[in-house]
Amino acid sequence: MGKSFLFAGVALCAFVGSALADCPKITVADMKGVKAGAFPQQYELAEFEGAAGCKLSFAGNPKADELNGKIQGNGALPPLAERLPEEPLVVVPYSEIGKYGGVLDGLSNAPEAGTSDLLSVRHVSLVRYSDDLATIVPNVAKSWEWNADFTKLTLKLRKGHKWSDGAPFTSEDVKFWYDDMVFDENIIKKPKDYVLVGGKRMTVEAPDAQTVVFNLPAPKPGLLAHFATHYSQPFMPKHFLGQFHPKYNPDADKKAKELGYENGYAVISAYYGNSDWTDTPTIMLSDPAKAPKMPKGVYPTLESHIVVAETTEGRHLVANPYFHMVDTAGNQLPYINEIDEVHINENEVRILKAVNGEIDYKSQSMQLPSAPILLENQEKGGYTVDLKPTIAMPTFAFNVTSPDEEKRKVFGDLKFRQAMSVAMNRDEINEVAFFGLGKPKQYVAFSPTPKFVDPKWESHYAQYDPDLAKKLLDEVGVVDKDGDGARDLPNGAPLVLNLQFATQGMPGQVAELVAQHWTNVGIKSTVKEVTPDEYRSAQSSNQLDVIMWQKGQPLAIVLGNSELFQPPFENYFGGRAGMLWAEYVDSKGTKGVKPPAYVDEMLADIDAFQSTLVGSPESDKIGQRLVKNMTENLLFLGTVQAPNPIYHRNAVKNFPEFKTWSYEYYRTYPYRPQQWFLADEG
Amino acid sequence: MLRFIQFVCTRAAMAVVTLLLVSFIVFTLMELVPANCAERYLAFKNTQGEQISIENIRAEEQRLGLDKPYIQRWASWVGNVFFRGDFGDSCILRVNINQLLGEKIWISLGICFVALLVAYLIALPVGIISATVSSPSLNNGLRLVSYLGLALPNFLLALMIMLFSTMVFGDTLTGMFSKEFRDAPWSWERVLDFLSHAWLPIFILGWSATAFALQTVRALMSDEYGKLYVTAARARGVHGRALLWRYPARHALGPIINSLGFDLNRVFNELPIVAVILTLSEAGALLLEGLARSNDQQLAGAIIFMLTASIVSLNFLTDVLLSIIDPRVRKSVMGG
Repeated sequence: MGKSFLFAGVALCAFVGSALADCPKITVADMKGVKAGAFPQQYELAEFEGAAGCKLSFAGNPKADELNGKIQGNGALPPLAERLPEEPLVVVPYSEIGKYGGVLDGLSNAPEAGTSDLLSVRHVSLVRYSDDLATIVPNVAKSWEWNADFTKLTLKLRKGHKWSDGAPFTSEDVKFWYDDMVFDENIIKKPKDYVLVGGKRMTVEAPDAQTVVFNLPAPKPGLLAHFATHYSQPFMPKHFLGQFHPKYNPDADKKAKELGYENGYAVISAYYGNSDWTDTPTIMLSDPAKAPKMPKGVYPTLESHIVVAETTEGRHLVANPYFHMVDTAGNQLPYINEIDEVHINENEVRILKAVNGEIDYKSQSMQLPSAPILLENQEKGGYTVDLKPTIAMPTFAFNVTSPDEEKRKVFGDLKFRQAMSVAMNRDEINEVAFFGLGKPKQYVAFSPTPKFVDPKWESHYAQYDPDLAKKLLDEVGVVDKDGDGARDLPNGAPLVLNLQFATQGMPGQVAELVAQHWTNVGIKSTVKEVTPDEYRSAQSSNQLDVIMWQKGQPLAIVLGNSELFQPPFENYFGGRAGMLWAEYVDSKGTKGVKPPAYVDEMLADIDAFQSTLVGSPESDKIGQRLVKNMTENLLFLGTVQAPNPIYHRNAVKNFPEFKTWSYEYYRTYPYRPQQWFLADEG
Repeated sequence: MLRFIQFVCTRAAMAVVTLLLVSFIVFTLMELVPANCAERYLAFKNTQGEQISIENIRAEEQRLGLDKPYIQRWASWVGNVFFRGDFGDSCILRVNINQLLGEKIWISLGICFVALLVAYLIALPVGIISATVSSPSLNNGLRLVSYLGLALPNFLLALMIMLFSTMVFGDTLTGMFSKEFRDAPWSWERVLDFLSHAWLPIFILGWSATAFALQTVRALMSDEYGKLYVTAARARGVHGRALLWRYPARHALGPIINSLGFDLNRVFNELPIVAVILTLSEAGALLLEGLARSNDQQLAGAIIFMLTASIVSLNFLTDVLLSIIDPRVRKSVMGG
């Protein structure tokens, strides 16, 4: 577990500290009277020196040379002063100044599955969310500024910031990413939504090396939240990839042919995977024969670690010797020398490895059913498991645009949906399926529930009241007409709900319990498990009676993504209801079914919501209206918000308790994994 | 001799037809499953947090050539395999299949063959002895061991051994190589490291294969042993080991050799489950991946193609072997 790697580093670190007695080594736990800066848990260099009244001197990882030697195409290492930016970001460690060394052992499922956990550990972007999940703080960018109507975002970068190969990182790299990667159709055929504003292209200017300006075609205050939460990194190494880009190098194709590629774009594709997703196979995996002859194994990065080896079985990374963060003692981060990622596509085996203490950190793919065995072995395995709430919860919806007219009428009746909601016994679901650890609640789309939402919506028709359910069903006219004990449709046809679920989107126990609850009030329900693919195809072709998938997004995501409030209320891979409404909206009313007025209101509101500064009274008012329309109409019925396990070995220090178990803030990114370190635990 | 050449040619032609047919069946079955590889790939991406639209899926299908009719896709794939020896790219792993499987398929076949070899080395002598020795305790003991081997599902056995090892030694016994050898080139140390991991799947697969072979040998021997020609030989004064090896054992061997290909297939069928449990990175685990998780036609097709090829060639070899050791077969094949 990397303990053996800790010998030399520890000894060296011991006297590294002595030279830096001039600045207080503050931590989040003990600020030693130093005032916080403009942002929580971090300072700009000058800001820190001002607040603490000292001069910070720097120290680097004693093994930096050795680690740098493993990075293909990196030359000899210059001294630390030339590797750090002139204005490094000073990070306040959580509990103690760390020690250099060790290997962080992690798990993923496969080369491109279940990897976001470890991607987030090394991830950087212009900004990030602080661990309160509410404050956006600087990271690669030093500062930012909006104009009055949120159509112009100006960012300042750090002077002297360098790529992992030592080349300068400038505003040109941001412009290059936007203009020449994302919008070059030889590289990306169709730009993804996140680089557009209202479907239109922004423009990026680089007036000087440290200034980037995003000009937006329409207001979008959520753009910053997007940078803080999204996996894509809005910069690409122009000095390296530009060599193969015909626009910047007339000899790009010639250079590519020398390396054995068809043309320059083919080389870019091999390095970039033609996607912002940073775990597409490297050349080391996709073409091991060519890899050693290439100028670099992977394109240079600003992340804390860089990939140096990859096979179908796993990846190996080493610390980036040019990383832009230091701790309050002036030590360059990251503390951890290497990351080793093993692909294991079998949950039981992953849990076994965790129980054995063979990994250092894992949350993705760890589900609540594994919690008991993990908790039971905590002491023996020398690790800690925190149960933290998830963002999405299992949610039920009725097909309000069912192809069967009679069902459409019934499902479209609000009283019917109210009845089905109070027929659910959410406390029982919580006890049986989630060990009583969850929180029963109604679906309000935003999760966690923001401050502006009236708490009453979380319990709106979420009580268990089978008598009320029966009364409401009687009023709708869904009564037992043929005396067989099951309620029928108003026209006398039998009503049987076929609940098709896929475990990926809905725990089996929840589906079975809800079917039982509904049967108890006279609505006959049958349960059938299908594969996610079958579920998706039935959902797409509008064949489902009941939509069952997990649902909910944090405010930060909704600011940049409207799908939860536009029919069909989620993308292809989520739970979609009102398919024919969506058709109507997309076809401007020529096809499909006209949605009710409250849906039109939501459509207008979500656009307005995204163009207003979040937290302002106006934004809160629109947000309240969005939640009211969504929850009052019970398009989606919430169940129980359950927690999931977050695992870390006790030897991983400076590891705070996470607020949520979620992908939405990019997993570990708010919790500053660069300042984790591995203590030797005997 | 001419008859023999004719026999070889017919077998080769039949092998090609078999391979074509098998790959076609694999492609067709995978075509019938909902969601193609493009969608599965993007589904993975979606669980990672990427927002995906229908257009993205269509674009991906185009990139992978999945928009062409599947007969055409199968034909061009098979053409490349037969004429260029190129299995194409795996759509889910985005890697050339020849590169991906180069080492793995040999590791898988190696594990299967060694498991079979171990099985026969144990089953033949033990089976013959147990058929001829009438010791109830020995027979009952053997019966217990082989029934356990037949009845215990391999995945359960693997899980039990892993659990035991985790509880007692704190080692999960998973993987194909130790961490330091995972990406290393082949060397003597790496072979040793591989063997230190490979014994477990060999043991697990070998146990059930041994049980199977043991029962077969025993039954055949018991049948032969009571036949008249054995009694006649005994009457002529042949007895003991000479009697045993001269007639009944040789007769009993025929069906065993004949079923080698079938046995290999059976062991390989059990391999993926064991490989997944033990997280062995070899072709069996990839096959399950390609079939169940990603609908990766090229990858699954390639693995099954290679497996079928090894079974067909093994069958051919056993036929030749049989025709050499069994005069009755030799007469019908070689003539005269």
